[in-house]
Amino acid sequence: MERMPLILFCVLLILIGAAEAAIIWKLPHWERPGLFFSVTVSPEFRRSDEGRSILRRYRILAMVLIAIGWALVAAGGVPRRWPLLVLGVTWLGFGPLIAFQIARERVMPHAAKPALVREALLAPRAAHLPGGWLLQAGPFAILVAAAIYLRAHWGQIPEIFPVHWGVDGQPNGWSARTPMGVYGPLIMGGAIVAGLSLITYAVLREARVIRIPGHPTSHGRDFPHQVGCFLSAMEYFLAIMLSCVAVMPLLGPPNIALVLIGSIALIVVVLAAAHHLNQVQACEIELSVFQTDTTIFGDGTLDEHWKMGLFYYNPDDPALLVEKRFGIGYTMNFARPVAWVVLALVAVIPVALAFAAVVRHG
Amino acid sequence: MRRAIPVLQIDLGSERPAYEQIVSGLRSLMVTGQFAPGDRLPPVRQLAIDLGVHHNTVAESYRVLEQEGWLDLNRGRGATVRDRPRRKPSAAAKQELAKRLEELAAKAIADGVPRASIAELLKALAERLVRS
Repeated sequence: MERMPLILFCVLLILIGAAEAAIIWKLPHWERPGLFFSVTVSPEFRRSDEGRSILRRYRILAMVLIAIGWALVAAGGVPRRWPLLVLGVTWLGFGPLIAFQIARERVMPHAAKPALVREALLAPRAAHLPGGWLLQAGPFAILVAAAIYLRAHWGQIPEIFPVHWGVDGQPNGWSARTPMGVYGPLIMGGAIVAGLSLITYAVLREARVIRIPGHPTSHGRDFPHQVGCFLSAMEYFLAIMLSCVAVMPLLGPPNIALVLIGSIALIVVVLAAAHHLNQVQACEIELSVFQTDTTIFGDGTLDEHWKMGLFYYNPDDPALLVEKRFGIGYTMNFARPVAWVVLALVAVIPVALAFAAVVRHG
Repeated sequence: MRRAIPVLQIDLGSERPAYEQIVSGLRSLMVTGQFAPGDRLPPVRQLAIDLGVHHNTVAESYRVLEQEGWLDLNRGRGATVRDRPRRKPSAAAKQELAKRLEELAAKAIADGVPRASIAELLKALAERLVRS
């Protein structure tokens, strides 16, 4: 096997592992001071002996579970041991979640009753999509251009063409020259980009702007705009990537080294963006250190509406999007039916399309 | 100099219904001149989201204020502050105010607020009203 791709692949795996570990380690700090593992607490609790102990034990458990996951992934890299690979990847997803839930259970006896004071700025929100409608149409234009190109060169597409390559650079998955086989990546891209556009619009229009009562400078409006910009950038990236995937039957397989270098660059960019968004949000979080003797202000929602501390479900709340309690950005109010539509667009439909393509043509 | 955007605060844990708090909060801001005629209020949905109440609650509040002559409700433009003409004082309105002030003061005393504090608050309010 070529040495360079193998070295780059190992670097990529190490970087992904390190990035995941760093994010999981840092996540408890990405909460408002009135929250700890998605439970409303007095801000002093995080600095208390009990709070530090819970944080320490969470980090140890999370790192151990992540290490086990990567060991399984590495073991699964050997031929005919793909069940270990699947187990490892699943473990990497659920392991940190288990650590989070255990920590949350430990915090819950110390839960505090939040203040129910709400404050709102009395002016219409200027919710312009980043770059306007023209820039938002860009990703769709890229996908349509790729579709037009493929249609124009339909006869040149091989009857059977590779769609997946192993680490050794040899193809191990194929598709056929059918509308689904050829346009599938573009349809998937269209669904994902549409979902992200919807989320961007919703972030700007439907996300609750949290104001800390009595703090005149907690305007809270910069964060939604920054998140909207990040999502718009992701739309362009996905449209370009999936268009390149779609036209591969005509242009030939990609250079593995370039793909790996691009993946490494993407991870670095995403981490930098997450750090930047955290800095923007931190300006708001610093203000929420404010607390009187009797009032505690978490994020304006009640603990009982956060299922497993991660999923927000409140039929009485008109907001479609609320700030995540654990992490950066927003999550949906799953009591609103449109949340499920967005989830279907962004997650379910693309996965179903990919699965159908692999099952049919792989 | 740019005027600060007014802020509305409500307490969802209070015994007072949310819509009543929104109506009196907005009315108080308009009476004290924190809104100019022509200023636009946030759309019903936006205010409902930020306050965490149902849209009907905010819609009803806006309707009450429209009936009192404070707002113009336009389907396309939303709620706009009107240039409300000063109404002639009525004896009934003054009596109603006096009665409600007494009831409020009585409740405050029953809740343990010292009489001197109540007097101070009323004095400060009177001064603000005269200045605005």
